[in-house]
Amino acid sequence: MQPLANITPLKPAGAVEVRNVGQIFKTTTQDVVALEDVSLDVKPGRFVVLVGPSGCGKSTLLMMMAGLRQQTSGTITISGAPIPEPDPNRVGVVFQEASLFPWLTAEENVEFPLALRGVTKSDRRARAQDALKLVGLDGFGKRHPHELSGGMKQRVSIARGLVQDPPVLLMDEPFAALDEQTRMTMGDELLRIWAATGKTVVFVTHSLTEAVYLADEVIVMSPRPGRIVDHLQVSLPRPRTYEMLSGDTFGSLRDRIWRHIRKSA
Amino acid sequence: MRGLGVKAARVAIVVALFAIWEILSRSGIVNPRLLPSASDTLATLGDLLQRASVRKDLAVTATEVVTAFALAVPVGALIGFLIAENRYFADVAKPLLFFAFSIPKSIFLPMFILVFGVGFAQKVGFGFFSTIFIVIMSTTTAVESVKVEHLTVARSYGATPMQTAFRVYLPSMLPVLLEALRISMIFNLTGVILAEMYASRDGIGHQIATWGENFQMKQLLAGVLMIAVIAITFNELVRWVETRCSHWRT
Ligand SMILES: Nc1ncnc2c1ncn2[C@@H]1O[C@H](COP(=O)(O)OP(=O)(O)OP(=O)(O)O)[C@@H](O)[C@H]1O
Ligand SMILES: [Mg+2]
Repeated sequence: MQPLANITPLKPAGAVEVRNVGQIFKTTTQDVVALEDVSLDVKPGRFVVLVGPSGCGKSTLLMMMAGLRQQTSGTITISGAPIPEPDPNRVGVVFQEASLFPWLTAEENVEFPLALRGVTKSDRRARAQDALKLVGLDGFGKRHPHELSGGMKQRVSIARGLVQDPPVLLMDEPFAALDEQTRMTMGDELLRIWAATGKTVVFVTHSLTEAVYLADEVIVMSPRPGRIVDHLQVSLPRPRTYEMLSGDTFGSLRDRIWRHIRKSA
Repeated sequence: MRGLGVKAARVAIVVALFAIWEILSRSGIVNPRLLPSASDTLATLGDLLQRASVRKDLAVTATEVVTAFALAVPVGALIGFLIAENRYFADVAKPLLFFAFSIPKSIFLPMFILVFGVGFAQKVGFGFFSTIFIVIMSTTTAVESVKVEHLTVARSYGATPMQTAFRVYLPSMLPVLLEALRISMIFNLTGVILAEMYASRDGIGHQIATWGENFQMKQLLAGVLMIAVIAITFNELVRWVETRCSHWRT
């Protein structure tokens, strides 16, 4: 045995642990149980996709992982520590298209998290350039969001999520507003970025095809109160290709998810 | 090119209006005593602007307008912001504000004289009073135009309340606020001139009232032109800032 084996090792960066988490929203009329006893374990570097019917609490779960909302019960740890408030060094969040600031250029949007922490201008610029290059937007830094296509905007959002190099990236339906072709391309792009950076990704989507195509693991949730009803391992090899979409493995995985969702509808 | 065409059309309309004015008066279709010709009015305007007393009146009015504006905008913006940020307060205050906004303000002119006497404070006070409601209401609208998504983004990247105010609220609100500024200035100018016309010893509004009472139509119309020019200048100034920020709008 190694000499240090008896010392509890730190949880590796990028692990996400959700233990018996519940969320109850108190409204004036009633208490809404959004999530009930949700537990899941995401190993560092894994690509995990959450699917489930609308209103089952996917966004809520992601918000809690980001420290943007506190769970009513249970614990959540990111890289081994709880997340009582947002911590951009541990977690990057990618929102839907509308989340870019229209008054800032692409590179200023990417620099935004750094500007908040007082990183110097030149340092900021350099890191934003790197992030934009990573997402394939080299040379588009000076444009404003309205001068970019939907896909490009989401690349900027991803760059903004990555600029502080957090080990975990949370994405809530990032490609929902895109047309199907752009969406496919962005999926491939995301996988490329993910492979290049080794981030842990938790990704929410309504598209079952997208879920199976992207994921190492798919987690299926039930309607409210949201619970985990299935946890699938996607054994398809990487890199994923378009041809896999028509294969048997792909089809049976997607069918299995669909049966859960249909049952709950 | 299109912008140029629009500008040319505007100039053409103004020129045409002046031409019609000139013709109506010169041909006697409208009694020249009632409507002095455009050229006479412009000549009078030139004359008046030479006079030290008129220039002093203009300076007095300008000072009052700027003071009232400089007070009403930040105070109104602050109140509007607080209202918009507090749901309960917003629900209570909004209909009341709209009610207050709907009342013709000139009804209250005598009260301003009772409180402030006749002078600078009375006119600034009334200008302030005429302006603040529109500022409050516009600010409330501006705050509501801030997108929740943007606030969530700021929060998720650990923005402090100060950073959120200056990096998210302010830029989100600016287009609406600039538009509001323009409209507020109209209310402000109207308020101050009205107060001057009602009771005052100086200011261009007071002059206009005097000319009007004595049926000095040339001077009266020249005064109207002066005020129009002031209003247009300010309007264009804010518009210019607005267009510079126009890429913010999606
Ligand atoms: N602030 C809140 N107050 C009260 N109820 C809320 C609040 N936020 C969410 N909910 C409720 O909690 C449940 C879960 O919402 P959530 O947005 O997490 O669902 P979702 O799975 O992301 O849905 P969708 O797929 O439509 O995005 C919903 O029923 C919603 O109405
Ligand atoms: Mg959601």
